Amino acid sequence: MTGRILSHAELIELIDLLGASRRLIGPVRRGDHYFYEPVAGAARLALDAPQCVYSPKSFLFPPEETLLTFEKESGRFVAQPVLHDAPIALIAVRPCDIHGIRLLDHVFAAPPGDAHYEARRRQTFILGMDCAEPCRAEAFCADMSANTAHLGFDLMVARLAEKLEARATYAIEAGSETGENVLAEFGRGRAPGAVDEAARAERAARKRQAFPKRLRCDVDELPMALQRGFASKTWAQTAQRCYSCGSCNLVCPTCYCFNIRDDISLDGNCGSRVREWDGCQLRDFALVAGGHNFRSDPAQRLRHRVMRKGRWIQDRTGLPGCVGCGRCDGACTAKISIREMFNALAEEAGHDGD
Amino acid sequence: MKPRIAIFSLTSCEGCSLAILELEDQLLALLGGVEIVNFREGMTERAWDIDVGFVDGAVSTPQDEEEIRKLREHCRTLVAIGACACLGGVNTLKHQQPPLEYREYVYGAGAKWFPTTSARPLSAVVKVDYELPGCPMVKEEFLHFVKCALTGKQFRLPADPVCTECKKLGNLCRYEKGELCMGPLTRAGCRAICPAYGSVCEGCRGLLGADAVAAAREVFPARYGVPFDRIADRLRLYGAYQDDGENAISGVLQPSR
Repeated sequence: MTGRILSHAELIELIDLLGASRRLIGPVRRGDHYFYEPVAGAARLALDAPQCVYSPKSFLFPPEETLLTFEKESGRFVAQPVLHDAPIALIAVRPCDIHGIRLLDHVFAAPPGDAHYEARRRQTFILGMDCAEPCRAEAFCADMSANTAHLGFDLMVARLAEKLEARATYAIEAGSETGENVLAEFGRGRAPGAVDEAARAERAARKRQAFPKRLRCDVDELPMALQRGFASKTWAQTAQRCYSCGSCNLVCPTCYCFNIRDDISLDGNCGSRVREWDGCQLRDFALVAGGHNFRSDPAQRLRHRVMRKGRWIQDRTGLPGCVGCGRCDGACTAKISIREMFNALAEEAGHDGD
Repeated sequence: MKPRIAIFSLTSCEGCSLAILELEDQLLALLGGVEIVNFREGMTERAWDIDVGFVDGAVSTPQDEEEIRKLREHCRTLVAIGACACLGGVNTLKHQQPPLEYREYVYGAGAKWFPTTSARPLSAVVKVDYELPGCPMVKEEFLHFVKCALTGKQFRLPADPVCTECKKLGNLCRYEKGELCMGPLTRAGCRAICPAYGSVCEGCRGLLGADAVAAAREVFPARYGVPFDRIADRLRLYGAYQDDGENAISGVLQPSR
């Protein structure tokens, strides 16, 4: 891996270099919160934004997108696919969200492959921003082994001097061939700016200390604890406060469920097929033709989600189904916490084992 | 033959009727698919052989009651449009005062010449086939309804709450600003227009169902220190007539018949 040390000004320069041939998308401050938004230049970015309200998922898998258009030609409908492959660069993506994107990559690559996702993803450059400390009280990313990313980015930046942004220095390393090439191009005619191994080791040690343990079990024990708690009373108790509003799903960087609908013109001659985000907590998510709902009870839906996040996705993909970002806990107006549910189930499983 | 549609208004601001005229760019295409045969806000001709009748407004006077019974007879399909026609709407606020008081407030000394009843949605008086709620009705939903009718597709209102639309738009949740929004309880379909423009959802499209109300009974007192009665007060602004599973919202203010 190639690595360099960059000053703050150099990092801005590097991002603008990426922006020369790609649309830049990164954290922008709006009041007290940060959102991933397209920007004209790196100077507009809040590079040290702790966590954005939403993950950058929507730039790869939009909340609503047209998959194809159709039109009547000599009495038959002819379809035309719609693919988006304009190059983008996602800037300052935190490790939790990189883990989220890795899961989406895996899911949408499953045969036959999702052409719409893959067209966007192929043209996406990811510049990651490592975290030195947890961004919020709800985050348990370290427990889920998702507070550091070793894969799934083109470049990864770690801030070394943590005080004034303008005087900060950053260690940067490549995680892909594209990333290597960008670093090589950027480094041409510049002093090497080699990585100070001591400074990096010192940062890594500080990082290990900075993330408190917030799960009461080891991440490896979680799937078994959940499985043992399948008939637990926790589901029904917690679901009493659940609105089934789906907010936890829709802010989750690893949720990928969608619904497809056809929109047709008034004259019935043309239309489009649209995909939109769906969520397993919504009442009609498992409603099928004939009117049967496989999960009509909020408690069943809650269990389904927690099982998927803590066990089933991991079983199926080998990747974490939950990255511990804490966004769902924050988004729940009923203050239902997935971390607290994981902990309650782990505790119950522990007592069962006694 | 094109389906014959008509648009009528009872006690209301007729904003829902106007929403149809606001379709502007789509109006010609709409007229390509249907024939409008009766529409006070849009034309002078009147005809009474109607396939689909859209009615906004609440039943709030004896004349309204007579009118809606007549419309039911003349329309093969009757569609309530807007919060007033679907849920009673803001007209029901008058129930907070004795009848004579609000009539005098509105009509002055001549109040006795203007009899009124309690304000009710259409379904309290006649059978309603479909409802397109909202204050005003969502014009895109109206268009979707017409397309469903033309193509023979089943029309269903969204069964998700407003939160789903807020999240898809990438809005900041109003609760993050310390505001109590009715979005989690309220039927989507409005593209979360109020939260998107910096206000809370007031529930004008009606409650999603008994589960959401049951959750609200737990959440507001325990997590926000707000008694459920205060939430019910707010939901009553647009929706005094709706089934919340326990009759808590309409029940508190059972209007006089």
